Amino acid sequence: MGEEWAVKASGLVKRFGDRRVVDGVDIAVPTGAIYGVLGPNGAGKTTTLRMLLGIIEPDEGHRTLLGFDSPRDASDHVGYLPEERGLYPAMKAREAIAFMGALRGLDWKTGRARAVTLMEGAGLGHAVDEKIRKLSKGMAQLVQLLGSVVHQPDLLVLDEPFSGLDPVNQERLEKLILVERDRGASILFSTHIMSHAERLCDRLAIIAGGKRRFEGTVDDARGVLPQRVHYTPHRPDPAIRGVLPPDALPDRDGWRFELPGGGIETLLVRLIDAGYGISGLSIERPGLHEAFVRIVGQQEAQP
Amino acid sequence: MTRFRRTLRQTFTIARRDFTATVFTPIFLLFLFAPLIMGAFGAVGGLGAASVTDGAQDKAQIIAILPAAESRMMAEADTQLRGIFRPGEGPPDLTTQPASADPAAQARNAFDRNDIDAAAVLYGPLAAPQILYGPRGDRAAGYLATLAQTTLAAQQAGGTLPPIDVTKTRITRSRGSVGGQHQSAFFAVFGIFFLTLFLSGQVVGTMAEERNNKVIEVLAAAVPLESVFFGKLIGMFGVAVLFVAFWGTVVGQVTTLLPAGAAAAIGDLRPAVGGPMFALLFAGYFTMAYLLLGSVFLGVGAQASTMREIQMLSLPITILQVAMFGLSSAAVSRPGTWIATLAELFPLSSPFAMAGHAANAPELWPHVAALAWQALWVTIFIVVGARLFRRGVLQSGSARPFWRRAKPH
Repeated sequence: MGEEWAVKASGLVKRFGDRRVVDGVDIAVPTGAIYGVLGPNGAGKTTTLRMLLGIIEPDEGHRTLLGFDSPRDASDHVGYLPEERGLYPAMKAREAIAFMGALRGLDWKTGRARAVTLMEGAGLGHAVDEKIRKLSKGMAQLVQLLGSVVHQPDLLVLDEPFSGLDPVNQERLEKLILVERDRGASILFSTHIMSHAERLCDRLAIIAGGKRRFEGTVDDARGVLPQRVHYTPHRPDPAIRGVLPPDALPDRDGWRFELPGGGIETLLVRLIDAGYGISGLSIERPGLHEAFVRIVGQQEAQP
Repeated sequence: MTRFRRTLRQTFTIARRDFTATVFTPIFLLFLFAPLIMGAFGAVGGLGAASVTDGAQDKAQIIAILPAAESRMMAEADTQLRGIFRPGEGPPDLTTQPASADPAAQARNAFDRNDIDAAAVLYGPLAAPQILYGPRGDRAAGYLATLAQTTLAAQQAGGTLPPIDVTKTRITRSRGSVGGQHQSAFFAVFGIFFLTLFLSGQVVGTMAEERNNKVIEVLAAAVPLESVFFGKLIGMFGVAVLFVAFWGTVVGQVTTLLPAGAAAAIGDLRPAVGGPMFALLFAGYFTMAYLLLGSVFLGVGAQASTMREIQMLSLPITILQVAMFGLSSAAVSRPGTWIATLAELFPLSSPFAMAGHAANAPELWPHVAALAWQALWVTIFIVVGARLFRRGVLQSGSARPFWRRAKPH
C-alpha cells in the first residue's frame, strides 16, 4: 500500500437542516494503527464515519481513504461494521459472510471457504449453515463482523462494535481486532466505552458536539489531567491541612490531591518534618474515562 | 479493476442475491403457479357462465308460421344457410308452425310462451312476410327475411335452387394484411402490458427488505446506490424472465395441440418486420418496458418506509400501467398520427407503442433509436431514484458537482 495515512480527512462538515452535526472534524489514521473515535452519544461519530466511507457526502471538507480521493475507489479494500447491524435473515451465516465479501470483490467460492475458517476461529463453527434469523443477536453481530473482514481489508471501520455484546464476545472482538491489526490492517472504530479504547487504541480522537476536542495517543489523553497523589499519614490530625496542598481532600484513611507541579519530594520532607510521617503513598495516573470527562465536559459526557 | 467493471460486478452481486432470495423460496412456487390458479378459477367461472348461456341459447328459437309445403322448403334453405356460420355463432334454431286462423295473434303469442324464447317470428306470404322480433332479435329477424327470400326463390325455381359448380382456391398473401398487422400490433401491446402488469409491480417493495433489515447501510458503504438499484432491478427481471420462460414453454406446448383452424388464424398475424425479428423486438421491448416501469416503481417504492405505504402505491402503479396501455393502444390503431408519435416518444409508453410499430411498419432503424432512447431513460430513472434515496433516506446531501469540488492545498 505504501501510504502514510490509511484515512486522512480535514474540515469535514455535515449539516442536517440548520444543525451542524459534524463541524470541521479532522481525522488522520496512520497506516497499520488502531484508531479510536470517542465521543458521547450524539457527538457526530457515526456521521463522521459515514462521511469517510462515502455513504453520505460531506457538505464541506475533504477525505482520502487508502490514498484514494473517492471512497468508492477504495471500497474493495475497506471493511465496515455499521452501528445498526443488518443482515438478511433468510441467508445462511456462511452465505451472508460470502455475500459481504462478494460486495467487496471477493469471489463467492473463496468467500464461503474463508467464512467457515473465520467462523470456526470465532467459536461459531456449529452455526455455519444456520440461517441468520436463528442466531442470537450477539452471534449475528459476530457474523456481520466476520463479513466485514472476510475479504482481508486494508482498512477496517467499526462503528460502536462492542455495543450489544456480552463480555465474552467483547473479548473475542478485541482479539479479532488485534489479529486484523497484526495482519496489517488499519482499524478505525468508534465507541463511547473507554475501557476498550484504552486497551486497543494507538491513537484516538475525541469528538463532542460535532467538533474534534482532542487528538493523540491514550497517554496524551490521560496527560490532560495531572497525576493524583494518595497520601496516608501515621496519625490523623486536622492540622495537617495546613501542610498539604490547597486542593487536598480527605479520603477514608488519608488525603488525595493533584501531584504538585514541582514534584512530591519537597512536600514529603515538610510532612516528615512536621511529624506526620508516611504510612502510605501512591501516585496514580488518571484513566481515560476521567480524561474523557474532562475533555468533553461533565455535561456533554452524560448519556 | 476498472471502475466500470467493479460497478458491473457489484451490480450482479446484488442481482444474484435478489434473484436467489426470491426464487429459492416456497412463496415463489405460489407466484409461479398463480396463473394456473387464476386459470382454474376462470375456468370454473367460465363453465358456470357457459352453462347459463347454453341454457338460454337452447331455449331461443326463430319461428316461421307457414303452410306445410313452404315449411319444408324453408327448413332445407335453413340447413344450407346455417353452414356458413361458425359453430356457436349461428342464429337460434328454426321452428315452423302451421298458421292458425289469426296468424298475427299466433305470432305475438309466441313471445309470451314459457317453454321457448322467441327471438323472431315470421308470418304471412313469403313475398311480403311480417316479422316480429324481441329485444336483441334484429339479427334473427334479418335471418328470417333471408330465409323467406331463399325459400321464395327455390319455390319459383321449381322446388330447389339451381345447383352451381364452385371452385374454391386458397390464396396466400405475399405480405400481411392490414388487419393482420393491426392485430399483431394490438397483441404486442397487450402482451407487453399483460406481462409487465403482472411482473413489474413487484419491484416496488424490494428496497423495503434492505431498509427493514438495516442491510442498506452495508450495501451503501460497499456499493454505489445506483448499482444497488440496478442490481435489484436486474435480479427481479431475472425472476420475471424465469416466469415468462416457464409459461412461454407451457403455452408453446399447448399451441401445438390447437386445431388447424386456430393455428391458421394465428398464422394470419403477419407483423411488418417479419416473424423472427418481431419476436426479437418483442423480447427487447418487454425488457425495456419492465426496466422502465420497474425503475420508476423501485425509485418511488424506496421512499416508502412501511409495508402499508408500499401497498398504497399499488393503485397508482396499476393506473399508470393501464394509462400507458391505453395510450399505446390508441397509437397502434392510428399509425403515423401525432398520438402515435407521442406514445413512441414518451418514455414509459415507448416500448408498448414501438412493439406495435414493429407490427405496422417494416423499417428497423426506428427500433434501434427507440431502444437506445429507452435505455437512456432507464439510466435516468435509476440515477434519480438513487439520488432521492440517498438524500431522503440516507439523509445525505448530494455530492457537490465536480466543478465545485476543491482539494485543500
